[in-house]
Amino acid sequence: MPVIRVKDLSKEYLVADKQPGLIGTFRHFFSREYTSIKAVESIGFNIDRGEIVGFIGPNGAGKTTTLKMLCGLIHPTSGVVNVSGNIPSLRKYKFLKDITLVMGQKQQLIWDLPPIDSLKVNAAVYGIPDKEASYRIQELALMLDLKEELNRPVRKLSLGQRMKAELLASLLHRPSILFLDEPTLGLDVNSQLRVRDFLYNYNQKYQATIILTSHYMADITSLCKRILVIDKGQLFYDGPLAKLTQQFSPSRLVRLEFNEQINFSLLKHYGKIIKQDNYSVKLLINRNDLPQKINNLLNNFSIRDLEIADPPIEEIISKIYSNKIE
Amino acid sequence: MLRINIILKYLRILFQFWSTSLSIELEYKLNLFVEILSTIGNLAGSLFVLSMFYTADNTLGGWPWHSSLIILGFYTLIESFTISFLQPNLSRIVKQVQNGTLDFVLLKPVNSQLWLSFRTFSPYGLPSLIVGIILIYIGLVKGNYYVNELSLIISFVMFICGLIILYSLWFLIASTSIWFVKIWNANEVLRSVLISGRYPISAYPLALRPILTFLLPVAFLTTVPAQALLGIAPFSLMMVGVTIAIVFFVFSINFWKYALKFYTSASS
Amino acid sequence: MFKKLFTKKRSRIFNLYRVFRALFISQYALMVEYRAEIALWAISGTLPLIMLSLWSNSQAIYSFGYNPINLAHYFISAFVVRQFTAVWVMVSLEEDNLEGKISPYLLQPVPPIFRYLFSHISEQFSRLPLVLLMIFLLFLFKPNYFWLPNIGSLIISIGTIFIAFLLRFLIHWIFAMICFFTDKASSLERLLLIPYLFLSGMIAPLEAYPEQIKQFALLTPFPYILYLPSKMLSSQSFNQTINIEVLFIWIVVLSIVSVFTWRIGVKHYSAMGA
Ligand SMILES: Nc1ncnc2c1ncn2[C@@H]1O[C@H](COP(=O)(O)OP(=O)(O)OP(=O)(O)O)[C@@H](O)[C@H]1O
Ligand SMILES: [Mg+2]
Repeated sequence: MPVIRVKDLSKEYLVADKQPGLIGTFRHFFSREYTSIKAVESIGFNIDRGEIVGFIGPNGAGKTTTLKMLCGLIHPTSGVVNVSGNIPSLRKYKFLKDITLVMGQKQQLIWDLPPIDSLKVNAAVYGIPDKEASYRIQELALMLDLKEELNRPVRKLSLGQRMKAELLASLLHRPSILFLDEPTLGLDVNSQLRVRDFLYNYNQKYQATIILTSHYMADITSLCKRILVIDKGQLFYDGPLAKLTQQFSPSRLVRLEFNEQINFSLLKHYGKIIKQDNYSVKLLINRNDLPQKINNLLNNFSIRDLEIADPPIEEIISKIYSNKIE
Repeated sequence: MLRINIILKYLRILFQFWSTSLSIELEYKLNLFVEILSTIGNLAGSLFVLSMFYTADNTLGGWPWHSSLIILGFYTLIESFTISFLQPNLSRIVKQVQNGTLDFVLLKPVNSQLWLSFRTFSPYGLPSLIVGIILIYIGLVKGNYYVNELSLIISFVMFICGLIILYSLWFLIASTSIWFVKIWNANEVLRSVLISGRYPISAYPLALRPILTFLLPVAFLTTVPAQALLGIAPFSLMMVGVTIAIVFFVFSINFWKYALKFYTSASS
Repeated sequence: MFKKLFTKKRSRIFNLYRVFRALFISQYALMVEYRAEIALWAISGTLPLIMLSLWSNSQAIYSFGYNPINLAHYFISAFVVRQFTAVWVMVSLEEDNLEGKISPYLLQPVPPIFRYLFSHISEQFSRLPLVLLMIFLLFLFKPNYFWLPNIGSLIISIGTIFIAFLLRFLIHWIFAMICFFTDKASSLERLLLIPYLFLSGMIAPLEAYPEQIKQFALLTPFPYILYLPSKMLSSQSFNQTINIEVLFIWIVVLSIVSVFTWRIGVKHYSAMGA
């Protein structure tokens, strides 16, 4: 039984058009023409309990819109959404207690006060008894490596500390479904790592379902076994991350190190040279001919080291985004 | 049993809300001084203007000086409610719609209208509260009015109805921010609607009175509670007041639900 | 050399004009975008009309030399004047300060005061059609209130309205500097509203005031913000002299003070770490 079921989900936004300039403005005052923007167009997928799913796509693809429909903030134009047996847009309390939404670019913490005060408000809101709440705060703070930061006014915290406090506030009620919209936005590499670890641990500990959007591929590769790719409002790919690379990148990346200086032009008919150095080279070789070509290479050159890998995920993604692959 | 639990839950939430907003307010100490000053200034100004109306006649729309003071007293009480709750929360709602943090409120398992209406509380309504009570007291004593318990209770009920009417009107304005994202001036509108409540309704031209009674029911904010206190409120008028309060309140709840259907949440 | 100085000055003025034009157009577009807002504004300015309806029922007006018709002219003019002298710079500055928009403004080669000033002026223009509509409706329901100021007094009144607006803007600007210190200027704005309400002639024409209070009011800047332009617009004679010198003294004093408070405010702002 999937926890999240989405079928034929669409969302259109109505936006008033306006011509630039004074006359356009004046006309705009009296009559308005609206165009509809199709932010999401009949997408569908199922997600099981405990899955961590990466939701990726270029800017304006409709990721945030989809997440907002999944947690019931905006009403779909058409289609069916079902999250753990609820229709999100009704926003039943039972449903709301089961989910959380974390947005990297918005925050719920009270700006002028320490996070602990916002946490107390949240505890009251979710009906968590004081004792239980302070136990949970301790536990989560430990997992997130937060200490006295909880007692400093939010406006005096760094971006990373603030984000961690946001996460704490959003998870105080132990939701079992997490919607995360760019949770690592603007964090440094270490903080990103810590947030990722935290999410992984949370998922393991509470069997939580997590849907995550991010523009940092490292977030996706390290957390998500399955990804959804969306582009221009349409679902483009749904499946394991590994298969995406296979499907969209027919070649593999081969790095070779030689014992002696060689003539690189000899390598040309093995594959596409991406980078060359004195003693090493990176080649893109088609998957199908890979065993054959490696064999030839080993026979014809004196090779010190050899490494075969998928091309970096960013490259594949950027190819998909720029529609170079059909 | 279940009801009591819910009430307890909301009391706990309100306690948390107000203690946090109090601790924010107290960081700005200058404000207390400013607020006391404006309460006093407002009182002096209102009394001065009121006295100008009494230079030629000694009634204003049939109300003698001391009973006008009672109306002014109720007006000041209303103002204290406005300063403490309506104004700070209204500007918050507008801001939250603008920058999209309303999302977080909507995702909480709490009645969103209650949250938005009473999220913050400003202690600076207190001076007006005190001044209002003093004005009513002075009006009653100097005017030699006798008030029995019953009319005190009725007047209180009518005043609560007035507050509900005002609150509902205010929340209606706030709800429209879902469509018209910028309505900073809503506070202004509210204030100017209120100002007409400083004087008895009967002081206005006949043509305006129905508007001030039914359309913008200012009459029920000050005039009717004052009449009730003096025991001269027509029963039918009070019933109309109660009805309007209920209708407005129910309407504000449903309108908010309706408005939320159009909430698109600020982009990104 | 002289010429060079001159052209430099001229290009600076020209630059200001271009800033004004750009701000005007964008602000106008913004206001039209939020047309509900303009309507709200227009409604919120109806206090003079409320006061008119109260006074027109009272006998007291004859004792200070008015009759229902010229009282109506006075208050309708006050309504118009108020619409075009609205100032909300304290609220915008507070908002910009909290949102951290001040820092980029400080880095731009236009003094921030002009930015706010121009945005006020353009917004007032966007309000013009609505005010005309409201006046039209008013005259439709109350044809006996109708009057037209003659061209001469209309031009003079537009001038005085503009001066009134500048005066009010300066006062608010000076007080707005306080928000650099406390972040919260909106309560000060409420305080500032009180003398404006009671001393400017909004609630009753100054003639209704007792002599001492009237004399006192005329020494403050407030009557020049509302009473003076309203009288001009309603083409009424003054039965006592208004001291124009007082107005000019206020303008000079407030301009100087505003420059100083701005400097102090910005110094404090940068000291706080912007
Ligand atoms: N409130 C709104 N009103 C009108 N149009 C909107 C609104 N929110 C989003 N859109 C439009 O819908 C489309 C999808 O936006 P969405 O925010 O879902 O993209 P996204 O995938 O989250 O992009 P990003 O990676 O940049 O965050 C965009 O074209 C956007 O302009
Ligand atoms: Mg997004």
